[in-house]
Amino acid sequence: MTTPIRSLLRDLVAPGALLPEAASASWAVEGRAPAAVLAPSSEEEVGRILERASQEGWKVLPAGFGKWLAGGGPVKADLVVSTQRICELTEYEPADLTFTAGAGLSLSALAEVTGAHGQWLPLDPPGGEEGSLGAAMATGAAGSLRQWFGTPRDHALGLTLVSGDGRVLRWGGRVVKNVAGFDVTRLCIGSWGTLGVITSVSSRLFPLPQEDLTLVLGGSTASSLLPQARAMALSSLPLAAIELLAPAGGVQGDPGGPAELVVRVLGSTEEVDAMEQRAVRDLGGGRAGGLSRLDRNPVPPSTLSSSHGSSRGSGAGTIRLLRGEASRAFHRQRDSWEEGADLVLRLTALPSLLGTVLRIAEEAASVWKGLPAREPPRMRFSSHVGAGIVRVAVAGIPMDGGGLGEWIETLRGLRGRMEEMGGSLTLSKGPAALVLEVGTWGGGEDDVALMVGLKQQFDPRGILAPGRLVG
Amino acid sequence: MTDNLPSLVLRDLEGVVGEQWVFSDPDRLLVYEADAQTAHSARPQAVVLPCTTEQVAGVAQVLHKHAIPLVPRGAGTGLSGGALALRGGVVVGTSRMTRILEIDPENRRALVQCGVLNSELNRAASPHGLYYAPDPSSQSACTIGGNVAENSGGPHCLKYGVTSRYVTGLRVVLPDGRITWLGGQGREPATFDLVGLFVGSEGCFGLATEVEVALLPLPEATRTLLAIFETIEDAGRAVTAIISKGLLPAALEIVDHNTIRAVEASIFAAGYPTDAGAALVVEFDGVEAGLDQHAEEAVRCCAAAGAREVRRANSERERMALWKGRKKAFGAMGRLAPDLLVQDATVPRTRLPAVLARISEIARRYNLQVANVFHAGDGNLHPNLVFDRRDPEETRRVEQASAEIMMVCVEAGGTITGEHGVGVDKRKYMHLVFSPIEMEVLRGVKKAFDPLGLCNPGKVLPDASEAP
Repeated sequence: MTTPIRSLLRDLVAPGALLPEAASASWAVEGRAPAAVLAPSSEEEVGRILERASQEGWKVLPAGFGKWLAGGGPVKADLVVSTQRICELTEYEPADLTFTAGAGLSLSALAEVTGAHGQWLPLDPPGGEEGSLGAAMATGAAGSLRQWFGTPRDHALGLTLVSGDGRVLRWGGRVVKNVAGFDVTRLCIGSWGTLGVITSVSSRLFPLPQEDLTLVLGGSTASSLLPQARAMALSSLPLAAIELLAPAGGVQGDPGGPAELVVRVLGSTEEVDAMEQRAVRDLGGGRAGGLSRLDRNPVPPSTLSSSHGSSRGSGAGTIRLLRGEASRAFHRQRDSWEEGADLVLRLTALPSLLGTVLRIAEEAASVWKGLPAREPPRMRFSSHVGAGIVRVAVAGIPMDGGGLGEWIETLRGLRGRMEEMGGSLTLSKGPAALVLEVGTWGGGEDDVALMVGLKQQFDPRGILAPGRLVG
Repeated sequence: MTDNLPSLVLRDLEGVVGEQWVFSDPDRLLVYEADAQTAHSARPQAVVLPCTTEQVAGVAQVLHKHAIPLVPRGAGTGLSGGALALRGGVVVGTSRMTRILEIDPENRRALVQCGVLNSELNRAASPHGLYYAPDPSSQSACTIGGNVAENSGGPHCLKYGVTSRYVTGLRVVLPDGRITWLGGQGREPATFDLVGLFVGSEGCFGLATEVEVALLPLPEATRTLLAIFETIEDAGRAVTAIISKGLLPAALEIVDHNTIRAVEASIFAAGYPTDAGAALVVEFDGVEAGLDQHAEEAVRCCAAAGAREVRRANSERERMALWKGRKKAFGAMGRLAPDLLVQDATVPRTRLPAVLARISEIARRYNLQVANVFHAGDGNLHPNLVFDRRDPEETRRVEQASAEIMMVCVEAGGTITGEHGVGVDKRKYMHLVFSPIEMEVLRGVKKAFDPLGLCNPGKVLPDASEAP
């Protein structure tokens, strides 16, 4: 059925919108290449494609650059519709601190333009800033900066959604306060392509901070850093990010070993200096041995390496200070290896339960070490301390076959324990065979009847991202 | 629409909440005829005051069985007629649901019943060094449930955002009486953000009986400035200059000449000069360090924009005094004329001066007095028109001027309401911001929650049969 779809599409879209057949392989989900990959250049063209797909019953997977195609769970799609060519910054009035752009604009390209005006979109989703704006919105993805700035739901002011049956719908607007009608913008953010293709986004921006400082406190284990991590979460300081990373040093390996607590402070020079002093005091206050030594000289820009810190001494109890570009580089590279991981989990629970979550995650990790694997599993835990989220990334696990069975069992067990404490486990990424067994989202308490009713309004023929959420 | 309910229904309702909490005699229904937007009124057939989620569910089941509309109502401080029983039915008041169920400082969250006052939540949170950020002007009287329904804002949402940013979970009674949790336990939605969709749904999806909110640490320090300008344009330029400097004040509020005169002539006199064209309140908050520097920069921006005077608060008492003229503006305007149409719209911040000029031109053309109060940092305008409802000709001019103001705001890239909601008042303007296709989708979204259309009917969405 491959050829008919492609020839029908050729008549429907402008030349260039239908990618060559050879390109399909690189857009495969679960090893299954779509019949066609489309990169339309306008929302009208997206509308034509989806209208036709609805009539024909073609299943469609919306995408940006295709970096995390399997992210929302395996989808059997006939077509991939990428927004990569809808990437214009259509409106940017710096004095309004807002912009509107095509969904295919990369976060890095956006940052370049807004940065020239001293502004930024404080969003650092997993996968980094090479991802598209549309993908960040469709997945509701946020990183460490959620601590102070919130998530895409808090930034977005409006969006254009092409519904499953091809209707071009505009929600919200470009003003920062807007309560006209129901908040469909929020519904679309994090709907994982199940309600429509997001083709453009309007969002708030923020002034770029004068100073960017990261404090890194080492500890013998993640658990040993818990008191300081909790102290930071309960601090009255407006901290931009509080992350607990294990293992330390930006590597993957044994999450039960040396770890680091990362605190990011943004603001004017005066503010950041004051917060630095107080954060250092609060971080040291919880430790028996106190701090070994602090060197408060500014650091020249440098790449992430063991020698870029401004502190001396080694191991637990040392606080490294990274300033300016060194701070930014640290955060850019922090989570980048998740992309190469075979398995990524997102554990959530109330922030006060972080210790328990880490303990059961460490228990799971020690079990995983003994399971069948392609190579000894390497792992990394990164916790958004204030939000109660622990991201677990694992590399080296079997991609299919009998070896997966025990992995599936332990993941089910882990999800059960998370849900028992009122939390959740989301499988952000994993081998298809495993994700199909374990399920991406878990039981949770989401009201499925309401979700089904809403999906029906936007995608009446059920062609979008089938298998995801309530599709 | 004020026919009596069948006695069978009244008995069933009494069975759920107790006889003394159901009433249907006209005298007692009177206060439920309107909210703070007094242009609209409609008498409900009965009022029920439940005190638990289960009672609300029981009430909803009874009404659902008899296909009688259910109209949720908080404190009645709304400004869009959202709590009126427009098509008859029963008002479900939340005035007895005032329990603070949990303050959880370890997780910076609180769980409250929907009838808890915004200011009561703050009183309970403050011993823990925490507060609830959204601060609508009516916060001493309005309920958290009402704030959820309206997605309320307030002067400080420039920096902190509106209600939807702070609501993390809702226990909801759906129109058929089913009880369900949306979100909760502080969690960020991993799938559809049903909490975010419910916030701001103006009572059309059901009744949120319990609300989980995120709390913030109280700011350690504040700096408040009051700048006096000869013209409103100068004040607007100062706002643009402050934002362009990369400063992010907690609040940037402007009151215009007419508002200042109204305030100063009232019992709320705040010492604003009555010959001034506009007054701008600028507030910074955060850690102590750096605040003086921010305030200095803001003072320089004001001076460069032509401020004739900048006052600073040096104590909490002085801070309150500087705010007084802004906070009491609506109360003071009440004395200008028998009636006041409190308007609400948002435009991109940079379009404020142009839009304000158009608004004063419209007011002149219709021979009306307009008094402007606005959240300048957000571009959220409140052009208020004073009039006498007993004069039908003047009332008609007010209506026409309002419609023109809405069109000007939408043409400038803005919207028809920034924080007061659509309710019944602005249904007629919905076509300015939504296409017929989008409106149809919105009706479908409501249907997913309320298939029979029993929950707060006649609000937000024009009926499909109503042509714009």
